[in-house]
Amino acid sequence: MANEKKTATTRTATRQMRRRALIAVVLVVGLFFLADAVKLAKLQIVESEDWQKRAVSQQMSDTVVSAKRGTIYDANMESLAESAEVWKIIMSPKDISAINWKKISGADVNRELTDEQALQFKREFIAKGISEMFSLDYERVYNQTGKTASQYEVIKSKVEYKEKTAFSQWVSDNGLARAFYIITDYKRYYPQGTLASTVLGFTGTDNNGLEGIEYKYESVLAGTPGRIVTAQNGIGDEMPTTMEYTKVVDAKDGSSIVLTIDSTIQMYAEKYLAEGVASAGCTNRGVAIVMDVNTGAILAMATKGDYDPNDPFAVADPTTAELIATLAGDEQDAAVSAARQLQWKNKAIVDTYEPGSVFKVFTTAIGLEENTISEHTSYNCPGYFVAGGWTIRCHKHGGHGILDLPGAISNSCNPYFMQVGMKMGGSTFFKYFTGFGFTEKTGIDMPGEASNAGLYHTADVLNKQEASLATSAFGQTFKITPIQMITAMSAVANGGKLLTPYVVGQVLDGDGNVVSTTQPQVKRQIISAQTSERICTMLAAATNGGGSKNAYVAGYRVAGKTGTSEKRDITDSYEVVASFGGFAPSDDPQVAVLVLLDQPQCAVRFGGTIAAPVAQKILDSILPYMGIEPEYTTEELANLSRVTPNLENNSVASANTKLANIGLKATVIGNGSTVLKQIPAAGQSIPAGGTVLLYTDDTENITVTVPDFTGKSVTQVNTLASSLGLNVRIQGLSVGGGTSAESSAQSVAAGTVVPKGTVVQVNFLYNDTNDSTAVG
Amino acid sequence: MAKAQATAFPPKNNKLKLRIFNLTSGFDMHFFILLMIILVVGLATLYSASHVYAFNYEDGDSYFYIRKQLLWVGVGLVGMLGVSMVDYHILHKFAWVIWILSLVLLVVALIMPSSTGVHRWIRIPGLGQFQPSELAKFAVVLLFAHIVSLNHKKMKTLTKGFLPLFGILALTCGLVVLEPHLSGTMLIVFLGLALMYIGGVRLGWILGLIGVGIAGVVFMVFVLGYEQDRILVWLNPLESFANEITFDDGISGRDHAWQTIQSLYAIGSGGILGQGPGNSRQKHLFLPEPQNDFIFSVFCEEMGFVGALLVLVLFALLVWRGFVIAMKAPDKFGFMLALGLTLQIGLQVAINVAVVSNLMPNTGISLPFFSYGGTSILMLMLQMGVVLSISRQARMEKL
Repeated sequence: MANEKKTATTRTATRQMRRRALIAVVLVVGLFFLADAVKLAKLQIVESEDWQKRAVSQQMSDTVVSAKRGTIYDANMESLAESAEVWKIIMSPKDISAINWKKISGADVNRELTDEQALQFKREFIAKGISEMFSLDYERVYNQTGKTASQYEVIKSKVEYKEKTAFSQWVSDNGLARAFYIITDYKRYYPQGTLASTVLGFTGTDNNGLEGIEYKYESVLAGTPGRIVTAQNGIGDEMPTTMEYTKVVDAKDGSSIVLTIDSTIQMYAEKYLAEGVASAGCTNRGVAIVMDVNTGAILAMATKGDYDPNDPFAVADPTTAELIATLAGDEQDAAVSAARQLQWKNKAIVDTYEPGSVFKVFTTAIGLEENTISEHTSYNCPGYFVAGGWTIRCHKHGGHGILDLPGAISNSCNPYFMQVGMKMGGSTFFKYFTGFGFTEKTGIDMPGEASNAGLYHTADVLNKQEASLATSAFGQTFKITPIQMITAMSAVANGGKLLTPYVVGQVLDGDGNVVSTTQPQVKRQIISAQTSERICTMLAAATNGGGSKNAYVAGYRVAGKTGTSEKRDITDSYEVVASFGGFAPSDDPQVAVLVLLDQPQCAVRFGGTIAAPVAQKILDSILPYMGIEPEYTTEELANLSRVTPNLENNSVASANTKLANIGLKATVIGNGSTVLKQIPAAGQSIPAGGTVLLYTDDTENITVTVPDFTGKSVTQVNTLASSLGLNVRIQGLSVGGGTSAESSAQSVAAGTVVPKGTVVQVNFLYNDTNDSTAVG
Repeated sequence: MAKAQATAFPPKNNKLKLRIFNLTSGFDMHFFILLMIILVVGLATLYSASHVYAFNYEDGDSYFYIRKQLLWVGVGLVGMLGVSMVDYHILHKFAWVIWILSLVLLVVALIMPSSTGVHRWIRIPGLGQFQPSELAKFAVVLLFAHIVSLNHKKMKTLTKGFLPLFGILALTCGLVVLEPHLSGTMLIVFLGLALMYIGGVRLGWILGLIGVGIAGVVFMVFVLGYEQDRILVWLNPLESFANEITFDDGISGRDHAWQTIQSLYAIGSGGILGQGPGNSRQKHLFLPEPQNDFIFSVFCEEMGFVGALLVLVLFALLVWRGFVIAMKAPDKFGFMLALGLTLQIGLQVAINVAVVSNLMPNTGISLPFFSYGGTSILMLMLQMGVVLSISRQARMEKL
């Protein structure tokens, strides 16, 4: 095709061609190159940082390492809340395609699968294995395996060690390691179950505190999560050798908290409170608080009903749970939600109530401090008092007659205290009302403390409205929180110092070193030490034979006051709060106790009959535990129980002598000369004057049927017991309490057949303890 | 051993004979050295960009691509020097033959079975694959140089000047666009138009042609909706990548934009001075096939803006030197040929960089002397041999 003749005619390029060539080169190549350079400059200089950031986010795998949450200890370093290692299982669906399906157990290796078939096989195998292992929904897991763009699909959180080990084995058996990884996580445990649950609170799924101490001290307990940043390549594997880049920021474990709460004291408080709430049939729960009066440290803070922080979302109250089960849909959800909110609430600090007669302690304190009254001040109680045109009745409609101050306290006389209040005047009353901290939050280191702002009468109102002052003086028409009450009660007990209550004693770092220790904080001196002492004496008398005698504990001078206040904001039924506030020992106060039963439904619902016994049982258990030495009066000593000595293998004569020496009687059974067996056995505690049966031969035990002791007076019980040959240990009876007590419970049920000599504990309750402040 | 240009031009008789020059008879050393520098940088970059990909997808053989490329470059070097010794005028004989051969091969490629619907390659067992469009580029340059040098005086006419060239261009591009090979088409169109213009075709017709072409493209894209996805990704790479834009073909925006975004990540991460040689992170299986069209992204990441600019300058110098050779060429054929071949390199570099930096939509075009591809680099080097051959007869100062 090439024409040889034509080729000979070629000559050099023309001027026009040269010019156009230059234009073409400059235009096409020069300008194009310039545009490229400008665009590169834009990407690499102007926008470089932004692109780099985006690139790094895909090049770095950033794994968060959980920090171990701090432990919550009680005052004796017993663990109340702790975190244990669990694991989180993550799947990387993106990497499933890279797994060799032939390594999966049960795969038919002779078959040829297309990539698509192999992927399908792998996805089904994984979904089946995992859904069975962790009881998960197959469809859910299967869908997760299909998210091929993702490298982070959470399969299961909080996997326990055993499950985790089984899972790892399954993964390695089937060659699935590429698509799974396991991250260390922590789970919160509350080893003591429900104990102090409303104080501790609980944590959510991310281990973040949602209630109580867990919530309030989140920043202290949580610690700082660490990170592992690794360079990864485009398919999620680690970058090879030279490009390897790993940065590890260790997780910083959370600090631990040592509470002032003592598990043992808390346990007693909860036990007896729960019994009290149950037997009184409270419909709005109950509270018991034990406070160290000298420091403000909370030793126990119980609310019943409560919940198990290990399973905080379960409705703990069986009755409520049953009721909820009958509901459906939104109604059920709402009921569940309400029940949860209720059981999580720490009633001791978030609820307000009208204190009733317990408040008379403070009216007394104000009067004594301001010298408007003394122990000898007498007023007449005709059964009512007229204040500001209102006739306000006493619980004793016939009137108490002329009473002095101890008498008024003992009888919980309302007109008496109304007159005390009127005499001191509204301004004085309010000055001390504020001074005792009844108008401010206590500042306890717990979340959600309620403010009672607007729930009490101001000085102005008290000065203008006599009825308001008169009713306030005996503890009605205003509301306070239980924590305000016990804090003020402690001030009365400790010589007049108002303290800031606290539950966190110490904060420890991850290694157990003390980071901080809470120092008791005195807010102010509100009454003098002398006034404090005078009140202690009078209140001790009240428990020893007075209106608070059901709180009597042998060997300990308990000072206290009971109260039964009307819940005036509930109008469709008559509801009360029965309470006891007091402290012990009265001559050297150590602990204050507040017991509050909200809306009891039992027949006799006075604070003196239902709240004081709870306080009495708590004090009876915790005072010896706390190492507070009992000081018995002679009378008490006479009633004091004796511990039976070991008499087995002793001669009958020697046994008789030993028993006589400690004030016990002996009944010898059989004709032998040596004691073979004794009832009660050695080490049992029986009342002085009790009888020990000494068996000298192999005579069968002589048995008796335990009678019903309840509803009887002390004399009747003693007579009945000695006629049957049973030993009776009497509890709850104050020395000066008079004869009005009736036995209310016995440790061995009536009708039980027991060996003669067996010890039966009988609880007594005084029924003449009307402390009602109900107005009207 | 006579001086090459002294005897080469004008031919003593009308017979076109195959003349062989001595290797040392002096081609343009500037051009040769620039080429060698570019080749070395290109090979180093290819190794850096490809070894991770090769390790992962070629049975752990990190050297898979660089080894093959080195082999082809070796063959190419011998071929280039060989071609440079041949008097380029012999190509007059093959201008039409090569063009027709390239058309046949383009048709063959179209007939060859393909799994992806793209018919760009002819697979030759044992040798690998060959892109007929590579040959077509050269064929168009050669044929245009041939025609212009013979019919120069009639270039201004419609029938003897514009129409034959337009016909050749249209036929070639028609086949390339069917493959489909958009960037190849674009390159050939740019090249053809530039050569028509330089060759003396009336500017009006060329501008008219450009006008019609632009109108056609606008019509295809905006009215008929061709290549919508490509345009969408080009204009909104980040939004596409974040799956904020829906694509009609059912493929996710993330997948559509993946290559472009990974390239931008790489280039942007390079900054001014780069991550350092070998330190690209994006080549670690983020950037798909980093040894091919997007090799320059890896280079930008490792060497930064400064490095990228240096490479552009190297290529610009090469084009400039090619231009100088053309200007000094002994005849119109050599002038057109040298210009066409160097413009081809320049255009391909410019388009490649525009694509990887998303200045232009992603069309798939390799970077000369950098991108992996055996037959491609062999073709390139043989063409450079032609330029060197022209330089032997050009009136320029020798080193």
